[in-house]
Amino acid sequence: MKLGFSQAEEDFRTECADWLQGQMAGEFADIKGIPGLNDEIERRKEWEQQLAAHKWSCIGWPEEWGGRNATLGQQVIFAEEYARAGAPGRVNHIGVELAGPTILAFGTEEQKARFLPGIAGGTQIWCQGYSEPNAGSDLANVRTKARLDGDEWVVNGQKVWTSLAHYSDWIFVVARSEEGSKGPKGITFLMMDMHTPGIEVRPIRQINGDAEFNETFFEDARCPADSLIGTPGDGWRVAMGLLAFERGVSTLGQQMGFRNELDAIVEAARANGLANDPLVRQRIAKAEIGLRLMRYGALRMLSNTDPSQIDGAALTYKIQWASWRRDLGELAMDVLGQEGEITEGEDYEWSMLPNMFLFSRSDTIYGGTNQIQRNIIAERGLGLPREPRGDR
Amino acid sequence: MDFTLNDEQRMFAETAQTLFADTCTPDHWRKQMETGEARDDARWQAIVETGFTLLLLPEAVGGLGLTELDFALIAEQAGYVALPEPLVESAGVAAPMLASLAPDHEALSDPSATIAIQHPSNPFVLDADLAAAILLHKDGEAYLATPDQVTLTREQSIDPFRRLFRVDWDPAKATALGKVDWDLALDRAALFCAAQGLGLAQRAVDMAVSYAQERQQFGKAIGTYQAVKHHLASAQVAIEFARPVVVAAAADIGNCDVQARARVSHAKLVALEAAEKAARASIQVHGAMGYSWEVDVHLFLKRALALTQNWGTPNFHRSRIATRMFTQPTGPDQTFARETENA
Repeated sequence: MKLGFSQAEEDFRTECADWLQGQMAGEFADIKGIPGLNDEIERRKEWEQQLAAHKWSCIGWPEEWGGRNATLGQQVIFAEEYARAGAPGRVNHIGVELAGPTILAFGTEEQKARFLPGIAGGTQIWCQGYSEPNAGSDLANVRTKARLDGDEWVVNGQKVWTSLAHYSDWIFVVARSEEGSKGPKGITFLMMDMHTPGIEVRPIRQINGDAEFNETFFEDARCPADSLIGTPGDGWRVAMGLLAFERGVSTLGQQMGFRNELDAIVEAARANGLANDPLVRQRIAKAEIGLRLMRYGALRMLSNTDPSQIDGAALTYKIQWASWRRDLGELAMDVLGQEGEITEGEDYEWSMLPNMFLFSRSDTIYGGTNQIQRNIIAERGLGLPREPRGDR
Repeated sequence: MDFTLNDEQRMFAETAQTLFADTCTPDHWRKQMETGEARDDARWQAIVETGFTLLLLPEAVGGLGLTELDFALIAEQAGYVALPEPLVESAGVAAPMLASLAPDHEALSDPSATIAIQHPSNPFVLDADLAAAILLHKDGEAYLATPDQVTLTREQSIDPFRRLFRVDWDPAKATALGKVDWDLALDRAALFCAAQGLGLAQRAVDMAVSYAQERQQFGKAIGTYQAVKHHLASAQVAIEFARPVVVAAAADIGNCDVQARARVSHAKLVALEAAEKAARASIQVHGAMGYSWEVDVHLFLKRALALTQNWGTPNFHRSRIATRMFTQPTGPDQTFARETENA
């Protein structure tokens, strides 16, 4: 057994770190460390294009589509160095991590040629049209309708919690294309231009005051008949394939960001004297234990070459990190004490730790709630019987 | 010790409950957040007319001369609606303190006036700009000033309704009131924070229960699923066990000794832990809705957070409990000493 990374991987780490830190000290210093995804959009888009120009925008993709064919280990290393350098949250993470891999896995050659260069090049920002008012945890209950009219799909309905829809260029939409169908059957996976007439976006304000997600309305919005991935009625398979990207290994590299947050808590505790308080020290130590736990869990997954085993372990990762970070948010506020109650400026704008506390209230909800994760672990991982569903 | 409430106490609590249910609805919150107004004048007037602002004041200064337990019941109801106005800090903490120092002060003769308090344990002062008078502290002594005699800097709280101010002031421009028992003010405030915590917690649970009954996923109300209902059951357990601690702390607060103080601290810890637990569960049960500003649960999360960190942090209150344990005699004949005395 060998923990850690090979020499070749360490060399790759140095290459990533040198380039990223150079950028964050130079041309893009103005957006180093900015929180969230909602401001400095134009600069963030320029940053995406800079990443693309140096082949860092989608390193896990095949070389012919702008990637580096990077291994899982290299992708994790890049994500770590990205966070360490303080590079800003990526406006096109949905394009690079979800839409692109889905098109690569399920799309036609024509679709690859049409969409992948824009995603890799940082010029096409994507969002995800999955959840609806009545289809959250029960995603298969989507009601948004897609009807084929001649050589066009006509889409009607509503999506919700559409992150970044307000500045996205494209959306992938899970829509019901067979009248009267129920559950996972009769669903089609469409890709639509967000500038299409009939698509309207309304921001939703979050509890941290920001508005990164939206309601997205479709009223007779049209797209060409060949906008689908897979075949009509077979969209659920594509949608689930995409979810595997979302819940799977793409989050393995996030521990560096968590490390930054825990370090900020330690700094705050040092500054206000709570670092000498035995109770606080215990809780900080507990957070450190949880972080290392995830770290070794991730390294284990990376060192396992059997994909089926990686998938089994990956089932447990979402609930682990989400619960850990929710607790981290509470620890941060206890360390900040009364200073954590007040904003940075006059507006409802938050410095890193209080914002992390508020944002982390959503970690155990988005991308599959803790309750759904436990169901998945129990039903798919342990083979327990499925919880009875009311309608099917 | 008697944990039952008398008719008068029940009546006050019910009056508060009805008044707040009518005048502090989600529509009221939203309107007040939109306009940014500090007070809902109609609501404040109704509160004043019920006598809640006079409840803890001695009869000699025109008050009702009731007890901390009576006021705690009102505070609990204030928590249940995340009341924006500073009823609890003004009428529950600052006004009784002022009455003990300057019973003839004119601010006490106007039941609609509020009094703000700067306490050594808090960096900020709630609603200082609208107060008829601000109690200030320096070197253990109390001073009194009006808002125009001090410099106020507004700070935005995580809680959209908490109007906080940094107060800079010059003792030469304020009225000196002499030595005062700041600990009693802290005890009262901590007790009423605890009482509010019970209300916050119950509201968070109630909101989640009604959502879980309506919201359908997989063809059923989500409250059907054990994964959801167990969250709410656990939160309710925390509330039920916190409530008697709050009552016990209120009944005993006048003793101002190490036992009474530990009991107040215990109440603040468990009631606000219940509130945090309930808010966390409520957000989770509401799913993504719970993370949106529109669905009011965040108000209870944020109020709970603010009350937890003010009027003594959890660390401070745990250390007061530890003080009781390490300074009081131990042994079988000493166990639960105060309960035996009061039985």
